[in-house]
Amino acid sequence: MMFSRRKFSSLLVGLICLVALISTTPALVASQIETISILMPAPFADSTVKLVENFNTLYKNQIHLNVIRGPRQTESMSDLAISSLLLGDTPFDGLLMDITWLPKYARAGWLEGLDPYFDETDIADLASGAEKGNDFEGTLYRWPLVADMGLLFWRTDLMNTPPKTPSELVSISNQLQTQGKVPWGYVWQGRQYEGLSCVYLEMIDGFGGDWFDVNNQSLGLNEVPGVEAAQWLTDLIETGISPRAVTTFAEPEALRNFQSGESAFMRNWPYAWAELQKQDSPVRGKIGISTMVSLPGVEPASTLGSWGFTLLRGSNHKDAVIKAIKYLTSAEAQRVMFIEHGYTPTVKALYEDLELIQDYPHLALLSRALNNAVLRPETPIYAQISDVLQRSLSASLTGEEKPKLSMNRADRSSEQILVAAGGTPS
Amino acid sequence: MILIALLLPSIIFLGIVFGFPLLSYLWLSLHANSVLTSFRSIFNGWANWNRFIHDYRYWQDFLQTIRFSVASVGIELLLGLIIALILHRPMKFRGWIRSSSLIPWALPTTVMALGWRWIFNSPFGPIDQFTTALGAQSLNILGNPSTAWIATVYSDVWKTTPFVALILLAGLQSIPADLYEACRLEGASASSCFRRITLPLLMPYIGLAAMFRLAQAFGVFDLIQVMTGGGPASSTESIALYAYLNALRFLDFGYGATIIIGSFILLSILVASCWFFVHLFNRKRSIMITK
Repeated sequence: MMFSRRKFSSLLVGLICLVALISTTPALVASQIETISILMPAPFADSTVKLVENFNTLYKNQIHLNVIRGPRQTESMSDLAISSLLLGDTPFDGLLMDITWLPKYARAGWLEGLDPYFDETDIADLASGAEKGNDFEGTLYRWPLVADMGLLFWRTDLMNTPPKTPSELVSISNQLQTQGKVPWGYVWQGRQYEGLSCVYLEMIDGFGGDWFDVNNQSLGLNEVPGVEAAQWLTDLIETGISPRAVTTFAEPEALRNFQSGESAFMRNWPYAWAELQKQDSPVRGKIGISTMVSLPGVEPASTLGSWGFTLLRGSNHKDAVIKAIKYLTSAEAQRVMFIEHGYTPTVKALYEDLELIQDYPHLALLSRALNNAVLRPETPIYAQISDVLQRSLSASLTGEEKPKLSMNRADRSSEQILVAAGGTPS
Repeated sequence: MILIALLLPSIIFLGIVFGFPLLSYLWLSLHANSVLTSFRSIFNGWANWNRFIHDYRYWQDFLQTIRFSVASVGIELLLGLIIALILHRPMKFRGWIRSSSLIPWALPTTVMALGWRWIFNSPFGPIDQFTTALGAQSLNILGNPSTAWIATVYSDVWKTTPFVALILLAGLQSIPADLYEACRLEGASASSCFRRITLPLLMPYIGLAAMFRLAQAFGVFDLIQVMTGGGPASSTESIALYAYLNALRFLDFGYGATIIIGSFILLSILVASCWFFVHLFNRKRSIMITK
């Protein structure tokens, strides 16, 4: 008994030694190769597989890029990144992040400034509009991979030109609805979630207002344009231009409605274009893209949503990560991303590429919308004030509260959050 | 003197485990400590509390948490009692049946919550498959604010009823058998034996199970986080989830601490008033009996 136990323990020790030896051997071999990792949400991790392979062959024996496939949902992605960063641990060197996260991560001190790696000419190579939302308080932190902006889709078979102003949109819708050509005029994202904030931002800017002025830290929700924007959206539902169900619509629901020919206008992101042009789409070839409506004399606004790479402060392979970022965001890589996966490019060269424009004529329209891109409030506490806005808007859209009252309340609540979190009160 | 000396170790232990965190949260709730202050604590007086009082998201979550707790604990007590009474009866393979009835409780919450999320999933879950096969509409249970919370209650009941049944079974076994014998000899019916003997003697156990379960249900986090993430439209969000969001998603530790202290105070008031009413009820009843 005694003997067998000793034999067993010596066997165990031998086994452990063996495992240790095996696991360290590749590390010794790989010591000349810099292994870097970038965390990306699942859709991007999947669509960049080929590009990453190419990068690894190009830098064979120098850099090995490892993509960590994160969750699909934007919020779960952020939770995962934050919980590891809060512990002071940096399990990845780079992070692909949504535009609204940047101020939070930058202020928390987790990001490395990119100014030493990207100069004026790099920024000049970006398409007009794509340079927005990459910096915070004067430092560049993010380099864009794909752009996304709010667009107004319209039916070319029902009208000759798209509406420019809110009242034009309403009158065209009314006319088409009374003629019985479409059951509904305009569909958009009215569910209580981030998409609603994007819709509202385009309208408050289109009415000449401002949600949040970063420089003065002041809110404009309860000022005239803020209330008018909420009122206009509420009236769309009350006058029957938008279906009541729009208050449960996110992007897919709006797309389904518009695609089946039920409505004359839709607010959505560029991905909808490819869906609407599919072979079995009932509205194929009858679609135009325009910028969102705005008051006469006011620039139209497109909410900018984009994903870009950041470098984490704790990384020990900064130069290697920059090489990977530059490779993945190059014009060639973006061409692949655009053609194969429909992601809107951020480099100017592709918008000026005549061959590409010939194959994809809507590229010029995308470029115009990107040019009018506006940012959601660039504050580290964006998530909270957006949540407050969504609640108030939802209350007003569902008729629980008058728009003026709910916007007053949103303004006051946002103010309280700013003060309590240590922001400077206006 | 000796009494205090003997109690001292446990008092110190409780002080470290409960007192210290509560006091530090209280301190933190009077400060701004967020990503805006670069995680430094800056005294801001009552700003967090002012926000807390006017925070309708918190009050909605508070009511939702109470709704969840009362509904799930109420159903668990009722079902647990029935199951305990069944398991208490002599039958074949009683040991096997008793232990296998504990399986749901033994599963990790995350695992079972994920399972239920798939069962309730629309359109791929079996429930939706069943209703659409019958030609009915997809129920979209987790996507509808008025049904999602019921699904969370259902899952909680499924998981923790065995725990309640176990405690009540222990209670049933502590009731002396000769009491029932006497009851039968007096010619009382089975239902009056249950009302006059089983229920009153089981009361302390029911109270114990209710207290354990309520304390757990008020702090529900993992079940909700996995099943719905607090959605749709925050209709299943609990207090614990909101505190977590503030600290870890919004990086606002000052306000996160305020939520925890505020909820602690509110729950203390709630428990104290419950205790007061139970006490009042018991006194009234004992007066009635002596009369």
